Amino acid sequence: MKTPRPGGIEQGVSPSPNRTGAEPLGAHHWRSLEELQGSIEFQKALEREFPAGAAELADGLDRRSFIQLLGASLAASALGGCTSAPAERILPYTHQPPGLTPGNPLHFATALSLGGRAVGVLATSWEGRPTKLEGNPLHPSSQGSAGVFEQAALLQLYDPQRARLVKHRGVPVAWKTFLTELSRRLPQMRRSNGAGLRFLLEPTASPVLTDLETRIQQAFPASRFYHYEPLSDDNGRRGTQIAFGQALEPQWDFSRAEVVVSLEADFLASSGPHLRSTRAFAQRRDPGQPMNRLYVVESNLSITGTIADHRLRLPPSEIQTFALELLAEVGRQPGLGFLLGTFQGAGPPGGGAHAKWARALAADLFRHRGRSLVLAGPGQPPVVHGVAHAINAFLGNIGQTVQFIRALETAGDSGVASLSALADDIKALRVDTLVISARNPVYTAPGDLDFSSKLALVPNSIYHGLYEDETWRYAAWGIPAAHPLETWSDARGHDGTISILQPLIAPLFNGIPELELIASFLGVVDKSAHQILQEFWIGRAPGGDFESRWDQWLASGLIPASAAPVVSATIRLDAVAAAIQAAVKSRRAPAKHSNALEIAFCADYKVYDGRFANNAWLQELPDPITNLTWDNAALLSPATATRLELKRGDVVSIEYRGRRIEAPILVLPGHADEVISLPLGYGRTGAESVARDVGFNAFVLRDSSAPWFDKGVTVTKQKRTHPLAITHDHWSMEGRELAIEDNVQHFQQHPGELDEHRGPVEALYQVTYDKENYQWAMAVDLSRCTGCSACVVACQAENNIPVVGKQQVLKSREMHWLRIDRYFTGSLEEPGVITQPVACVHCEAAPCEYVCPVNATVHSDEGLNEMVYNRCVGTRYCSNNCPYKVRRFNYLHYTQQTPSSERMLMNPDVTVRARGVMEKCTYCVQRIERARIHSRIEGRAIRDGELTTACAQACPAQALTFGTLSDASSVVARLHRDRRRYDLLHELGTRPRTAYLIRIKNPNPELA
Amino acid sequence: MSALFPRSANTVLRVVVVVLLATPLLAVGALYVYAYSPLYTSQYSQVAQVIQFDHRHHVSDDGIDCRYCHRSVETSPFAGIPSTSVCLSCHEQIWNRSPLLEELRARYFTDRAIPWARVHRLPDFVYFNHSIHVNKGIGCATCHGRVDEMALVEQVAPLTMGWCLDCHRDPATHLRPVQEITNMTWEPRGDRDQVARELMRQNQVHTRTNCTTCHR
Repeated sequence: MKTPRPGGIEQGVSPSPNRTGAEPLGAHHWRSLEELQGSIEFQKALEREFPAGAAELADGLDRRSFIQLLGASLAASALGGCTSAPAERILPYTHQPPGLTPGNPLHFATALSLGGRAVGVLATSWEGRPTKLEGNPLHPSSQGSAGVFEQAALLQLYDPQRARLVKHRGVPVAWKTFLTELSRRLPQMRRSNGAGLRFLLEPTASPVLTDLETRIQQAFPASRFYHYEPLSDDNGRRGTQIAFGQALEPQWDFSRAEVVVSLEADFLASSGPHLRSTRAFAQRRDPGQPMNRLYVVESNLSITGTIADHRLRLPPSEIQTFALELLAEVGRQPGLGFLLGTFQGAGPPGGGAHAKWARALAADLFRHRGRSLVLAGPGQPPVVHGVAHAINAFLGNIGQTVQFIRALETAGDSGVASLSALADDIKALRVDTLVISARNPVYTAPGDLDFSSKLALVPNSIYHGLYEDETWRYAAWGIPAAHPLETWSDARGHDGTISILQPLIAPLFNGIPELELIASFLGVVDKSAHQILQEFWIGRAPGGDFESRWDQWLASGLIPASAAPVVSATIRLDAVAAAIQAAVKSRRAPAKHSNALEIAFCADYKVYDGRFANNAWLQELPDPITNLTWDNAALLSPATATRLELKRGDVVSIEYRGRRIEAPILVLPGHADEVISLPLGYGRTGAESVARDVGFNAFVLRDSSAPWFDKGVTVTKQKRTHPLAITHDHWSMEGRELAIEDNVQHFQQHPGELDEHRGPVEALYQVTYDKENYQWAMAVDLSRCTGCSACVVACQAENNIPVVGKQQVLKSREMHWLRIDRYFTGSLEEPGVITQPVACVHCEAAPCEYVCPVNATVHSDEGLNEMVYNRCVGTRYCSNNCPYKVRRFNYLHYTQQTPSSERMLMNPDVTVRARGVMEKCTYCVQRIERARIHSRIEGRAIRDGELTTACAQACPAQALTFGTLSDASSVVARLHRDRRRYDLLHELGTRPRTAYLIRIKNPNPELA
Repeated sequence: MSALFPRSANTVLRVVVVVLLATPLLAVGALYVYAYSPLYTSQYSQVAQVIQFDHRHHVSDDGIDCRYCHRSVETSPFAGIPSTSVCLSCHEQIWNRSPLLEELRARYFTDRAIPWARVHRLPDFVYFNHSIHVNKGIGCATCHGRVDEMALVEQVAPLTMGWCLDCHRDPATHLRPVQEITNMTWEPRGDRDQVARELMRQNQVHTRTNCTTCHR
């Protein structure tokens, strides 16, 4: 392939112990343990080209019998072809809604909440059917991008398994029956001041809902509201209480932070203002300007951990010690000596096990004082948050890289502590009527609370839920909830910006809006959610004509200048010191047990806390770190797995505090030793069939006294094994140089090393595609990509990509046009990680095109590698000849069984493919053609930025860029000229139109 | 001993061989002829509608422009079938007691859509867009024929891919000034070729024959 040369380009980063300088660049990237160890199964899987059984149909028909049947079916289809096409009807409106043009979609702004904070979205609506959700560029929490959960909310809207009927003890009744029953009881409740009345809601900062809460508490002074979300950041709020004496919410500004230290804070993924953080963080990953540097201290490998410049593996319980060590080191910096006295004995005497790390971090932080940032994750105890705030305060970061707003919720705890308080309330038989609109607390409650039997003690429990899930089963009343896209409400973003939520569609399954349910306790039964919301806002709209203001709020998706004001925060040294003293004193001595591990719980990147478990898009999305689909697995480090003689797929029994579950093992390089991480959200037992029997339920082991991590868990190997559908061994590119990374110092000195991966290639027959007005192209910046997978879901929604199920994924038949390859580099224990989105790269000299016998894949004059479904006969030659392995074949008619409600979700601009057809990324050609027609009608060219693909649109890191190379000033053309640009498999001479920019890391030389 | 076969058997054999060889060829030829015949393309067959809407009357007698009813033809892929309220905008004043329009009124007042039968049907994998054609000077009559002379609308063009491509490869002679698109009787004046060249320039027509122009 090439002559080996000394010194790999990425030598500065995570040098592999096995690697010699003579190996080709990138050759030591590995995708899984099995590949690294050269396991026989992996070799066999590679040699087979397609996995075992790929030639068989689902019903066990082999190829020979298929051909026998083929003759008969051919004759039958010839006869069938004689009939004419079925008659089609066109059904026009009686009154066409104003502003609507059939055939052209409309866009509406609304917002979706997770963890009580909203992200603004724009919904694409075709004649009343929402088909795509994108971020609202005006909304500060979104800035135009949307994460996997926001985008997949659409599939949830159309989910035919959503609850449809109001039920009383399992018997369907009318909504009116509930209201009548309630009105019969209300006078009694009023007399008793609502003594037995309790509400359990999601944490929310919604102004209208908060107002309803206040009004109910005025009407029923003895009633109480609890808020619960299993992954709530109570620790963070308590941390601000320690550090500043008040409940505050931090507003990080990663665009100004040059050194970031994360103490198990996964700030680039899943929760909190991660879209906003990712955007700002990624902008500082370009070596063209001063790069930021990220240190991550964590136990489980997280998305944030994969992009870190330095990562320290520690069990979660040790992170507190490290934080104190870091604080002590910061105190040793010149000018901060006064701290030493205050925090005497905070860190381990004489420096702990990670003294080198702490020293280097402290020095780096101090060098960048005022431009650095330390943050702690929700799983870490409040004192760690307090320490992080203290370090920020000493370094002068407050007001620079982090500011504070007052906590948007007035309610206090909204995590496990809050649910425990409610459980105690119920146990004391103080609860007569319990209204639950928090998502599925019976399932998400820690195992020791035994919430289902608690619920049985409540005479009148009312559950307002999207599904007939676990909680529905135990509640006396089940009320189907309206989806957030079906109802009016309001919500606040992470900086407090208020959005008005508007419905995109009338409730599909008779869902009742949360506002109407809560308001019915005030005796309001004749008002719609819309009226309740408008009546609330009509008195609060600042000045002027309400109607026009309201319309403006709806159009922009937010209320202008409604962000919460920044408050000044002064660190309370003595309080932090006292908290540290208390924490150090109360640290339990680790229980000595031969097999005892530390247990840690984590949010799942795909189903969050289980609320998205019935969402097939998310179930089939490969986990960004493990690439696991349709399952969760207990995660262990390679060393621990070796010690316990466990390997991937082995089922273990996990025992903790007398509770026990069985779970399959997944060995994850980079995981902390002697810790077992359990992703939450699986093992559901509700009525939803997609979620049922997928994975194991880790909430059973969760304990209300230690909801995030604890010691003393016993792991015993079982005889059974469990197949895990992991996509990372599929489509392997045989260890060639694909994902390239370098460190900034080396790259600045040797920019020419990339030249062998780019530039013109010799060819006998040169074809060019530069005659046309547009030359479509894409650039993928690996420095920015975090692997969050928002692009994959965006592509799925935009291009009608089917979900195939676990059995098909096991046969490598997943259909995602865009996949994110995740490579490990370096050692098993301390691997580097690099993520690389790969879709069709639209080669100018495309190998697939030469081999198609029916011209079903051809090149357009603008450089697109086109796939013509109606010509394709399914030989799969193109896929065989594709060096990038980006073509996907419809082995079965995956879309045939799409439920009728989910058919409404299909993008009408994209063909729904049938069995026997090859498909792949089209660069969203439907968007190109729409933009072309639009611009040509207006008699102008398509402007740069006017048109982008679904993946690039969704990307919070702006790692993907789409545009035309013909305009030299376009962003994509500039990136194609970037000195970091390289081509994937350049030596093959395919001349791909998708260029990659190498990942640059910015390691600290002191830690090299 | 006489021959087993008479001499005429040779002729029979020759005929049989020729017929056997010709049958597959003829069959394929016949399929081709069928595929391009109106029998298969559904040309020239009048499609019955639930309401006897007569384009002759509305276009020729009343002089209503196509775009009065098909109002999204310039902005959307879909030309637009008028909402029932558009029909009623005239017919609540005139012919408001006609028994022929009983169905129309009944559906309007009960808010039920009129199930018009589709006449021009393209396969689902074809993404035809009216707006770009109309804005580049392809007249209604170019594809739909003299709708002003049709009692019941029928499909006059074969709507085969070959027919589409004929024009996509060389659209010049099918063009007209943009302001004349709904004119049913427009004819170029003067030298046809020169008019065609002039219209190509004037309407900024750009030929597109890539697969994804129509198939996505």
